[in-house]
Amino acid sequence: MFDTNITLNQFVEAIGDTFYMVGMSLLLGTIIGTIFGILIVVTKPGGIIPFPIVYMILNPIINIIRSVPFIILIVALIPFTRSIVGTSIGNNAAIVPLIIFITPFIARLVENSLLEVGPGIIEAAESMGATPFQVIWHFILPEAFGSLILSLTTATISLVGASAMAGTVGAGGVGNIAIVYGYQRFDSFAMFSTVVILIIIVQVIQSTGNKLARMIRRN
Amino acid sequence: MIILEDIHKVYLRKKVETTALKGVSLQVDKGDIFGVIGYSGAGKSTLVRLVNYLERPTSGKVIVDGQLLSDRSAHELRQIKKDIGMIFQHFNLLESKTIYQNVAMPLILSKKGKKEIKERVTELLAFVGLSDKANSYPNELSGGQKQRVGIARALASNPKILLCDEATSALDPQTTQSILDLLKKVNNEYGITIMLITHEMSVIQKVCNKVAVMEEGEIIEQGSVLDVFGHPKHTTSKNFVQTVVRTEIPANIKRKLAEREVSTLAKLEMVGDHATEPVLQALINTFHLDVSVVFTNMTEIQDTTLAIWYLQIEGKESDKRAAWQFLEEQNVRYEEVTV
Repeated sequence: MFDTNITLNQFVEAIGDTFYMVGMSLLLGTIIGTIFGILIVVTKPGGIIPFPIVYMILNPIINIIRSVPFIILIVALIPFTRSIVGTSIGNNAAIVPLIIFITPFIARLVENSLLEVGPGIIEAAESMGATPFQVIWHFILPEAFGSLILSLTTATISLVGASAMAGTVGAGGVGNIAIVYGYQRFDSFAMFSTVVILIIIVQVIQSTGNKLARMIRRN
Repeated sequence: MIILEDIHKVYLRKKVETTALKGVSLQVDKGDIFGVIGYSGAGKSTLVRLVNYLERPTSGKVIVDGQLLSDRSAHELRQIKKDIGMIFQHFNLLESKTIYQNVAMPLILSKKGKKEIKERVTELLAFVGLSDKANSYPNELSGGQKQRVGIARALASNPKILLCDEATSALDPQTTQSILDLLKKVNNEYGITIMLITHEMSVIQKVCNKVAVMEEGEIIEQGSVLDVFGHPKHTTSKNFVQTVVRTEIPANIKRKLAEREVSTLAKLEMVGDHATEPVLQALINTFHLDVSVVFTNMTEIQDTTLAIWYLQIEGKESDKRAAWQFLEEQNVRYEEVTV
């Protein structure tokens, strides 16, 4: 019906690859990024556990990594990737730079979300004799939870976009089909359908995130 | 209960020094409801935060319940804070948690058992009259209800002291009254010492037994509420007192007095039972003085009455002297004022 070289199976496989890469890097990136984000907020001068050295090291590292375009990051990290996952091509090889790419991004988003929690809440916590850990766990994180979900939604969509470039190191994914078939082989159908699939994926992620955040914020 | 000794507090921001407190000393006794009043920027907020060490003094001593706070480790200070509840102008409740969870928070922080928490929270919600709101969220409550939750939360850990940071400033007059009644109840039933800061003299009038007036980082006047309301010494204190009690003669009456060339008046100040005793009658009948009432004001403070009379008194000097002696015996404060 369409003049195209790709099969339905390839699509299904590509969608699976995208989910795999995004899921894995999101999971690890969220864990590390959230920890970094919390560290930045609490160790800041005037924070609840002021520790200027930690802040002065973490803050520029995050900025430096965020300055490097993802496509450059993939290539620059090849030796590092090989030492970690044993290969420099394929889906697993793409996950390493994706994590390195998304972690500082998530750290910044988490930082912004946590800073939205008013100083009054923190003061109330301290007036109750809460330890710094309790302030974070019982006050800051629950109050910022809705905003954190929205931040992670943004990060997930960013990852879907970045994973399209994973083809550079021989990984699959929906974006790869768009580049390899759509762009390099002038296959309009492949290009068009992958774009539609990406739009749908992004829409679903965003509206799920919005719904979750609304549920948590209860309004 | 609370002793502040020669407290200085200097903030250093962007290499500019701002002095918030300049040698403040005060003492709050057990069972007091101690009010600190002042305009914004007077240093009240800093002052109240010294008591639970949310603010540390640059110099001077903070002694709470016999403990010098500067000697205490961070861990000990956290334990001391559990004996000091605090409520805030903007309530500072956790929006993401139910009323029950908010009130339970201090107990969760102290790692109390579920059963104990449930009993205590149920009791506290009943005390503040919000038993039916246990599963609501703060954004479903009115301002007054939120402050009740704040009070319940502050009481959860059985504190000895309750600090109120402009606790009624965001509330309408009617709600303010109900929160003040609740604070009185907290003071009476639990014997909790209360220190509150406010910029509304009516709050001091309704609940406090002692007051300190602050201006530009200093306490310019302090004493019992009746004393300060009866005869404020400092201009700022006078201005605050004037907002709830007219202790000065209104301008139009002053003009009339000037027309009649009256220059001296007797100012009588009576407190409690004396305020309702027939003093005037005695002046007229017993001492044969010619008394006319120029201006009078009666106010209820701390469940007693403060009465201020401005009288124009004519008569023989010897009768007057006898009358003044009589007033002194009656515990009526008397002074001659020039109009």
